[in-house]
Amino acid sequence: MKTKTNTILVIMNVLAWITFIGLMVKAGAILVSFGVSVSHPEAAKNLYMETNLYNLMQFDFVHYTVVVVMWVAILILEAYTAFLVTRVLSRIKMTNPFTPEVSKDIEKIAYVILLIWVAAMLYNGYQQWLAKQITGWEENLIPAEFILMVGVVFVFSQIFKKGVEIQSENELTV
Amino acid sequence: MPIIVNLDVMMAKRKMSLNELSEKVDLTLANLSILKTGKAKAIRFSTLDAICKALDCQPGDILEFVEKQKK
Repeated sequence: MKTKTNTILVIMNVLAWITFIGLMVKAGAILVSFGVSVSHPEAAKNLYMETNLYNLMQFDFVHYTVVVVMWVAILILEAYTAFLVTRVLSRIKMTNPFTPEVSKDIEKIAYVILLIWVAAMLYNGYQQWLAKQITGWEENLIPAEFILMVGVVFVFSQIFKKGVEIQSENELTV
Repeated sequence: MPIIVNLDVMMAKRKMSLNELSEKVDLTLANLSILKTGKAKAIRFSTLDAICKALDCQPGDILEFVEKQKK
């Protein structure tokens, strides 16, 4: 049973690292395409995986920049969440799993996901506003249902905090 | 914590060292040190029993309740 748990945690750690690297690469690719599009506007037609922001760029460069910056910021926050997950998984030891560092990281994950949700809502609102301004503009909305995850992770972090207290009491029982 | 551990006082009265007590009650020096310095959050009855036997005393000689002074 112990070996199975360890294997699952190792696999999850590898997956979290892949997610972190993937998101960072995506953010980097968008930034590079954005940089290229400043001198060659045609690049905005395929910013990343056929995302076409050419119409927006022609409408107003400031709006185009704001959309790209918000998109990249959300990706960086998502990558940071994946990084926190890798940190939790590498710090956690099955012999003494409840440490204050891990508890703080789990709580931090909940707050970062909440921040991503707020950023995603702002991004979606901005996209919808732009859709009204530009004819033929296709919205590129971010699904915001993951707000439920904030609650779940936050509850886990509070349970983990109690676990830290119980483990500390157990260690200081002679 | 309003519970004070007077283990050092009893050890001094019985002229017993921490090493000697550690051997008699079968506890590690680290755990005895936690108890002696008041860092312990709980004590097992079996530990208390062993310490009382080794020091020939009552639990009340080791543990004392001191109410916190209100500011």
